[in-house]
Amino acid sequence: MVKDAPMSALVPIAWIVVGYAVIVAAAAVLGMVLKAPRPRWLDQMAWMLEVLCVVLGLGALGSLLQGHRPESMSTHVGYLAAVVCIMPVAIGSIRGERETWSSGVLAVAALGTAVVAVRLMMTR
Amino acid sequence: MTDPSPETGSTLRPKRGPHLVLMALYALFILASGSRAIVQIATKFHVAPLAYSLSAVAGVTYIVGWFAIRRAAHGKPRLAEVMLWVELAGVVVVGTLSLVKKDWFPDASVWSDYGGGYGWVPAVLPIVALLWLHRTHEKSPEEGKKEATA
Repeated sequence: MVKDAPMSALVPIAWIVVGYAVIVAAAAVLGMVLKAPRPRWLDQMAWMLEVLCVVLGLGALGSLLQGHRPESMSTHVGYLAAVVCIMPVAIGSIRGERETWSSGVLAVAALGTAVVAVRLMMTR
Repeated sequence: MTDPSPETGSTLRPKRGPHLVLMALYALFILASGSRAIVQIATKFHVAPLAYSLSAVAGVTYIVGWFAIRRAAHGKPRLAEVMLWVELAGVVVVGTLSLVKKDWFPDASVWSDYGGGYGWVPAVLPIVALLWLHRTHEKSPEEGKKEATA
């Protein structure tokens, strides 16, 4: 039980990641609906989401290093890697493109990050 | 930080358009189905060999689908025309089998229940991609002709 304590402490962070990711996705979809070029502040919101993901990832990694053992280690580590990597890959793929549809890429990445964050907590 | 010149024609840089979102979705499903298949095959293949093998097939389909959409966005829709129908057929066949032959699927595959485990996105994705392909192809028939003669 004591070993599970650090992981339980990460649950609120995970929900913050999920909530913020949904906000980023909604903002990106709104940009697409309005057919506006991708604004810089959307990139900043996406990077902020990545910072939260890194905090969540480091926390989960720290928990593993402290001896916490999830039910399926390989699945959990996979989600851990994914939650940190999705957004940078997405941002990198649309670097230099500011057209409307590039906001959609961020929307997909943000929703994917939200789902992975939930799955990360489900496999803890 | 200047915006790129539009439509350079380079195959190394993505063109603009809705295919960017489709490619992002395919990339997400490559990650989801591919990693799922790898973990399941590596750790418990004996539990549901058919389901896990079909998950791997789905992963490969998404990889090829990603490249197919990329090629289609650059004026070469042939591969996408084939792959998207293959993908849709896969979702329909596996989804139907998972419902009528439950004993074949002790554990879920990516396309079980028509992709219900993934919010039915696997069923919707090839349809949306086919609609996009149809619209894009209609817009630029000369590009299709160009490819046919290449």
